[in-house]
Amino acid sequence: MTGKYPDISDILARKEAARREKSAWPFQRKVEAVERMRERVQSMRAARERQRKRQSLLDQRLR
Amino acid sequence: MALSDTILVLNQMVADGVIRQYAIGGAWAAIYYAEPVMTEDLDVLISFDDVSGADRPGLVLLTPILTYLAAKGYSDFQKEGLSIEGWPVQFLPVADALDAEALEQAQQVDLGGVSAWILRPEHLVATALKVGRAKDLVRVAQFLEQELVETDRLCTVLKKHGLSEEWSTFCVGTGMRNPCRDVS
Repeated sequence: MTGKYPDISDILARKEAARREKSAWPFQRKVEAVERMRERVQSMRAARERQRKRQSLLDQRLR
Repeated sequence: MALSDTILVLNQMVADGVIRQYAIGGAWAAIYYAEPVMTEDLDVLISFDDVSGADRPGLVLLTPILTYLAAKGYSDFQKEGLSIEGWPVQFLPVADALDAEALEQAQQVDLGGVSAWILRPEHLVATALKVGRAKDLVRVAQFLEQELVETDRLCTVLKKHGLSEEWSTFCVGTGMRNPCRDVS
C-alpha cells in the first residue's frame, strides 16, 4: 500500500467475474436463486411484523 | 409457487385467445440475460387481437384478462400484481411504438423446460432508459458492462424511438464511451 487507501481493484475485478459467471448460469439455476432470495425476504418481513406486534403489545401493557 | 407454472398460464392465455401475444420484461427478462437479482413480481407486456378498445384506459383493457383468470381461480392481488401460481404478475398493455416493436421482436426461449416469450436485451435497455429510474439506469449499465446487447441493434432502436439524447446523457453521466457514435 503506497497511498492513503488500499488498491481494491483485484476485489472489484473478482466481483465483476462473479457477476459474469452468474449471468452465464442456466436459467433454472437463476430461478432457484431468486426464489431463495424471495423466501428470505418474506421470512425477514414476517419476523419484522412479529417484532412490531410484540412491541405494540408491550407498549400497550406499559401504558 | 414455481415460475414455470406461472408461465404455463400465460401460454394458455395465448392459446385461449385472451391475449394475442406476451413477452416477459422487467427484472425477470434481465435475469434471463444477466445475473439473478431479487424481484417479487413478473412484468408481462401484452397485446390483444381485439384492438377496438385500444383508446380505453389500461385498467379497463385488462378487464377480460382479469375475468378469464378469476374463472381459473386467480383473483388475489399482491400489491399491484395478480397472483398466478404464487407470483404476482403485472400485465402491461403495449403503450407506445417501442413497446409494440419490443413485443413483435421478442424471442421465444426455453425457461427451464417451459417455452416463453421474452424481450430482447436491446429493447430492455431502451425501455429502462425511457423509464429512467435509478434502478433502470443500473440495469442499462449492467447490460453494457457485460456486453449483453448487440451494439448496432441497440443504436438502431434508440434512434428509431427518439432516445438518442437520453442515451448521450446517460453515457456522459456514467463516463461510458457512446458506442452509437461509431455506428453509422
